[in-house]
Amino acid sequence: MSTAKTASDTGPDQADQIAARARGLTKAYGSGETTVLALDSVDVDIIRGRFTAVMGPSGSGKSTLMHCLAGLDAVSAGQVWLGSTEITGLRDKELTRLRRDRIGFMFQAFNLLPTLTAAENITLPMDIAGRKPDAEWLERVIETLGLRDRLRHRPAQLSGGQQQRVACARALASRPELIFADEPTGNLDSRAGLEVLGFLREAVDELAQTVVMVTHDPGAAAHSDLVLFLGDGRIVDEMPDPTAEAVLERLKRFDTIRLPDAPRRTQAHETPES
Amino acid sequence: MLKATLRSFFAHKGRLALSALAVLLSVAFVSGSLIFSDTVNRTFDRLFASTSADVSIGPKEGISEAVPSGITPTVPAELADRVATVDGVAKTEVDVGVDNITIVDTHNESVGSTTGAPTIAVNWYESDRSPVELTDGRAPRGADEALLDADTADRKNVSIGDTLKILARPGSFEVEVVGIATFTTTNPGAALVFLDTETAQSKLLGDPGLATSIGVEAAPGVSDDELKRSVVAELGADYDVKTADEVAKSAAEELGGFLDIIKYVMLGFAGIACLVGVFLIVNTFSMLIAQRTRELGLMRALGADRRQVRRSVLTEALLLGLVGSTLGLAAGIGLAFGLIKLMGVFGMNLKSTEMVIGWATPVAAYVVGVGVTFVAAYLPARRAARVSPMAALADVEVSGFGRPLKVRAVVGVLVGAAGAAALIGCAVSEDTGNAASLLGLGIVLTLIATVIAGPLLVRPVIRVLGGAFPAVFGSVGRMSQRNALRNPRRTGATAAALMVGLALVGGLGVASASMTKSFDEQIDRTLGADFIVQNSNFLPFPEEVTRQVRAAEGAGLVVRQRYAPVELSLPDGKKVTSTAGAYEDQLDDVAKIVYTDGDTAAALALDHIAMDREFAEDHGVRIGTVLPVEFPARREARLTVGALTDQPGTSGPGTQGNLFIGFGTAEKYLPDGQDSALFVNAASGTSADTLRASLETALEPYPQVQVRDQADYKELIREQIAVLLYLVYALLGLAIVIAVLGVVNTLALSVVERTREIGLLRAIGLARRQLRRMIRLESVVIAVFGAVLGLALGLVWGLAAQRVLALQGMTALEIPWGTILIVVAGSVVVGLAAALLPALRASRMNVLAAIAHE
Repeated sequence: MSTAKTASDTGPDQADQIAARARGLTKAYGSGETTVLALDSVDVDIIRGRFTAVMGPSGSGKSTLMHCLAGLDAVSAGQVWLGSTEITGLRDKELTRLRRDRIGFMFQAFNLLPTLTAAENITLPMDIAGRKPDAEWLERVIETLGLRDRLRHRPAQLSGGQQQRVACARALASRPELIFADEPTGNLDSRAGLEVLGFLREAVDELAQTVVMVTHDPGAAAHSDLVLFLGDGRIVDEMPDPTAEAVLERLKRFDTIRLPDAPRRTQAHETPES
Repeated sequence: MLKATLRSFFAHKGRLALSALAVLLSVAFVSGSLIFSDTVNRTFDRLFASTSADVSIGPKEGISEAVPSGITPTVPAELADRVATVDGVAKTEVDVGVDNITIVDTHNESVGSTTGAPTIAVNWYESDRSPVELTDGRAPRGADEALLDADTADRKNVSIGDTLKILARPGSFEVEVVGIATFTTTNPGAALVFLDTETAQSKLLGDPGLATSIGVEAAPGVSDDELKRSVVAELGADYDVKTADEVAKSAAEELGGFLDIIKYVMLGFAGIACLVGVFLIVNTFSMLIAQRTRELGLMRALGADRRQVRRSVLTEALLLGLVGSTLGLAAGIGLAFGLIKLMGVFGMNLKSTEMVIGWATPVAAYVVGVGVTFVAAYLPARRAARVSPMAALADVEVSGFGRPLKVRAVVGVLVGAAGAAALIGCAVSEDTGNAASLLGLGIVLTLIATVIAGPLLVRPVIRVLGGAFPAVFGSVGRMSQRNALRNPRRTGATAAALMVGLALVGGLGVASASMTKSFDEQIDRTLGADFIVQNSNFLPFPEEVTRQVRAAEGAGLVVRQRYAPVELSLPDGKKVTSTAGAYEDQLDDVAKIVYTDGDTAAALALDHIAMDREFAEDHGVRIGTVLPVEFPARREARLTVGALTDQPGTSGPGTQGNLFIGFGTAEKYLPDGQDSALFVNAASGTSADTLRASLETALEPYPQVQVRDQADYKELIREQIAVLLYLVYALLGLAIVIAVLGVVNTLALSVVERTREIGLLRAIGLARRQLRRMIRLESVVIAVFGAVLGLALGLVWGLAAQRVLALQGMTALEIPWGTILIVVAGSVVVGLAAALLPALRASRMNVLAAIAHE
């Protein structure tokens, strides 16, 4: 089970169960008086084979957390591991290779290269690496996502939901250790959104993938195994087996109540909402 | 609205920079050439006006010489005394000046200019009109003393006391340098020696009773025009009498021919820069507008009408044009300064401080700069005005992807068909004049058609060109090929800039290769001599050289050639000015000539002439026709057509009709002519190598002539054609520079436009190196597309041009495949170079900023 690191420490020896881990992860923007702490010494473990949702109000640092875990952004302090590889301190070239080979991505919009067909988009990370996709796995992914008839289409010929399904297939195609989905349903109508969430769920349940999804939609978060709540750059709460109502309730209390056990390590510092 | 326009202009100043550079280049060439020619004209007007006598008496001007015959027109020196008694004359001077001489030092090396400027010998007398003053030593006295100009003395390390040999028509003679004369005005680049008047008359003109002109100074209170009238009244119409102003004008006109070439070359550069710049500006504005579709839509939604949107875009163009023109004008002044300095290297010392910037220069600069920008921005501006207010709300894909190219297809095909028809007409035409104008029309039409239809060709051509990319470069190759294909208009316009330059190169490459091959074949077919002795600029040489060659050991038959400028009055009423070759009787032993009527003996008989059969037919001439012919110095003759030839020969400007006459005829009507070539055969038993060595030894004191065998002669002709090509290559270089700017521009703007795509690619694991390669490949494919299109067009032009050349007797066709391959390879380099900065920029792009969705 994924968990925010609050009390018990999970050592690196349990790495084979942990897809990603952060310790003291801090991300600051700017310097001096104008410093903004986007992440404030976050400890987090992402357990393999689970569907984790990250929630929080705008500016809570949920996208920054994802970017840092995925090696897209450099951290200001702390350490991040992907599996047993420490990615903090890696150079751009190594990070790029890591993203290409071990991580899958889905974004809110603009997920696909307009010049490539759906099939070419799906195998793009492997094509970039110069590797042959695992044909059997690819078949399964395409089958699961129902993209068989759409493979030769260009993104412009696909609906928003279909485009996100292609993006999902791309994220799954190289069988990465971890899939990051940044607001994958943000641009979709509710039916298409549900479809995509269903596929992510299926990816976890049937294809044994690990998914981390950033969202601000309680309904989307309800599809996950565990919801992590971020506020002011810290993990303030977690909710296993969430329902949409429970998540919504929790979010409503956000501005007024702070969890007592959430330590505020930089008390002196005011973190402005951005 | 104006405020919004200004804001937008400054916000995009980085993206407009390359367009401004294109404007700058065209304006710089326009203003630079105008400033340069104004400066030179002013300088020489002053020089000639201040150094000419009030009135000059010269020989009556006859026909002009396209090819020099070596004669120096003269007047009797006694005119000076005769005119001195005329009312209003204060003083007369005998002037002697010849430019058909060579000066060599004791090592037999020429001290003259090596850049084609003449070597001039004149008589020395003290005068306040002299362009030089004696700065060292003393004036020359007697037959073996001379002054040398300071620039030449410096350049060739000649000092007082040195001995020089002057090779003049009457004979060569040695002089001691007794003084150095320095130019007080602009030195036009010539090498000058001064002799005393009597020596100049006898040694340069061969007769102490002759002069090249008589200078007449007016008495106080007498105007030049009055003086001229009095002199003409005394002498009648036998001489040319000119005032100082008239002399300056005709001298400036003579010089003008050379300066005009520089001016036209510069204007050619400006033209290419403008043409190519237009493509660049159109592309920039189209892309800026595509990127700002939402912004423009918002303006429309907020109530700006179409006219305002259009005006806003055009105002931006106006600003760009003004900035580019101003910078271009400044660059033009710099360019003119550089040209003036460059002329200094060639010996023409213009003073850059006296630079003339006439009112026309800034006017032309701004008209060109603003005009070009405005024209180029007009279509994009109209497109901007058509942006719907809905664009602000809709989440549309940037850039006008799939807008149909139907109109382009129709117009392109129509214009292309007209152009093709013109070129075919040119190819089948029998008349040179018609063919040439059809060729010009065809070139213009097919160029326009290719520019219009270029975007339509993008898909098929790039599919083929980039076809191997996915296989060779994997997905990176596939993406770059598709990126080049995604906006055919943009790719087409970007490639068009390169296409124009390379089409010119292709066409001229074919034409010049064909010319060279034709000349080679012609030399093989017609030239029978073992060696030719001549000047590399085809200038005539003194008879001494001929004597030396005849006396050389191993020399067998020597056949002399002279050039005789002629004006024929033909039976069809036309007067044709051309040049006849004059040969000695044994012509058959050194040349192979095909006659349709008559033979060499008939052609070379006294008072006879031979000509090309076709030329004769065109003008109604038959064997036996008697033609009135005028030679230089107003000598008139009636020559009988003795033979007609069918030579696969060439006739350039000034030599049409393949005219030739006997040596005796030339000596009769051009008694002072000089030989311009000697055809030499080895005596029996002498090998060619032996003869060559002995000729070269014999000619050592005469550096102005060289010994050439057939291969050397071909090389000489090739070099003459190559000079033309160098000019074209320089033009091409400029076109390529601007085309590279265009590709850089397009790629840079594309990279900005594809920020999110690039961010996505980087996020999912595309390495920086791969990203750079992707952009490089796209750049290469665009450049090669331009090159292929340009060369294809150029080949078609070249084939048509070759048909025109064929009508002139240059029948060979040669396609310079080597050059074509080099150009294609070069275009790959151009693509790589153009991609450097955009690729760097893309690879430095912040991944997070690129994928941020807020």
